[in-house]
Amino acid sequence: MNEVLRTNGLVIGYEGKALFPAMDVALKQGDHVALIGANGSGKTTLFKTLTGHLKPLQGSVTLCGKPLEDHSANERAKLFSLVLTEKPDDLFLKVYDIVAAGRYPHSGLMARIPKQDEEMIQEKLQLTGVLHLIDRDFVSLSDGEKQKVMIAKALVQDTPIIYMDEPTAFLDYPSKVELMQLIRKIAEEEHKTILYSSHDLELILKHCPLLWVVAKGKPLTVGSPKELLERHIIEHYLSIDNLPL
Amino acid sequence: MATLGILLAGVLLFVLNLLVGSVTVPFRQFWEVLTGAGDATARTIILEYRLPQAFTALFAGIGLSLSGLLMQTLFRNPLADPSILGISSGASLGVALVVLLTGQLSGMAVSTLPGWSTVGVTIAAFAGAFLVLLLILALSSRLQSMVSLILVGIMIAYIASSVTDVLKFFSQKEDVHTFVIWGFGSFSNVGKPQLWYLGSCILAGGFAAYLLSKSLNLLLLGERYAENLGLRIRRASLLVILVSGFLMAVITAFCGPIAFIGLAVPHLARFTYHTSDHFKLIPATAVIGMDLALLCNLIARLPGFDGNLPINSVTALVGAPIVIYVIFHRQKVLSK
Repeated sequence: MNEVLRTNGLVIGYEGKALFPAMDVALKQGDHVALIGANGSGKTTLFKTLTGHLKPLQGSVTLCGKPLEDHSANERAKLFSLVLTEKPDDLFLKVYDIVAAGRYPHSGLMARIPKQDEEMIQEKLQLTGVLHLIDRDFVSLSDGEKQKVMIAKALVQDTPIIYMDEPTAFLDYPSKVELMQLIRKIAEEEHKTILYSSHDLELILKHCPLLWVVAKGKPLTVGSPKELLERHIIEHYLSIDNLPL
Repeated sequence: MATLGILLAGVLLFVLNLLVGSVTVPFRQFWEVLTGAGDATARTIILEYRLPQAFTALFAGIGLSLSGLLMQTLFRNPLADPSILGISSGASLGVALVVLLTGQLSGMAVSTLPGWSTVGVTIAAFAGAFLVLLLILALSSRLQSMVSLILVGIMIAYIASSVTDVLKFFSQKEDVHTFVIWGFGSFSNVGKPQLWYLGSCILAGGFAAYLLSKSLNLLLLGERYAENLGLRIRRASLLVILVSGFLMAVITAFCGPIAFIGLAVPHLARFTYHTSDHFKLIPATAVIGMDLALLCNLIARLPGFDGNLPINSVTALVGAPIVIYVIFHRQKVLSK
């Protein structure tokens, strides 16, 4: 499988203070990885560095064979898409408008959406299960529906990598389970590389094949849930005494 | 359907602007003037006074509304209006400097001098507005967030108006009167020759605003999504401020500071078409702005008001209830 992301001796942090030792990790096409760690352990800092918002203290991030900083704004828009905890809040934005904006990096100044793109918008809304909401005002949707629309936007953006910042936060339990299944489906069927952060440990251990675990000052550890549990990494990193699993 | 109504209303309001005023022109004479005949007085009133005034209202309506729309989208704030960056306060200071300070220095009321034309005021207003715009553009590249930019704009407005107040305090009564009248705003100070300048500036600004539609649609999603969809935020914000500020500066120079149209019209456009897509919203805002400015000008000149009501009191009277409605509507939708 193709490698889409690699970090080379990457040290991240703020104001010269490193959060973890240098990290060398890679993601392949179709990888589906959950990033877990306690609040304040540096998940957001890692996301910001991977998306180019924050400069690394040392080392570099390579996306599809080229250093992140060498990709133009528009090239980046075609390499990774974001699903954030903050959501658009304009009262008149339609679901369609938001998902169609996913095609903007692929369109010209007048943002014309060709016919095959229209079909793609329909198809991705169908895939995330919110096609029936296409004409609705975005602000009127439930949190779970909003999340699915933002994922449809990311799919329409058609990038090899999708980063999601706590996609299951603010959802009720059934919606959390549904969203985890959706994420897995997207990774497997659409061959997207997905890296998302979450605090829903039980669900992650059940649904996610690969984990990145972080804690302040400790090296980022990669492994399957089974492997990490056996090595007691999760208990250790998250300071949980007895995992009730 | 709505579009047709808005355009028809525009034509009707434009004709009424030519027909109605302090001097009653009978409809027969009015028709004669339009077809190229008619008596000299009626021709002068309609073609030399009312026609330029109607065009000025029309252009100002388009420009102010687009300027307001751009600010509301850039700051993602429904209560942002074109004056938020202090540009109209800059224009006021420019006019105050020319009208009040020259009178102070020469010891006589300049506004009473013969030959003191509106051209001087226009240039002073434009210079003041443009200096503030340049200052804002320079500062915006150093400010991290849009909120800081709003705060700096408001502070610049305070500084400009406090200097204006000091100038007023030390000035001749007649000059202060001239300045206050300018502050009421008016669509009647633009003669036929200057109308070309005003018209071409507004059309150029409007066209530039339309070309920014894609960026504006992205900005509406929030900065992080916009950036992730390939928008270069700083460059886009700078262009939006430049276009909005340019429109505002031109209109304030020719018509004085005119409030509420820029704040209210973008909301009317959103409600009428139920959209936030700027490719639709920009033309819609332009035509609704045109209608509303013509309506305000018509009300200001209704017979019985003995000439012109200050245009700003009319725009506030019409605009403020719209804004109050918007606030209540937002509250209703967001609490659902």
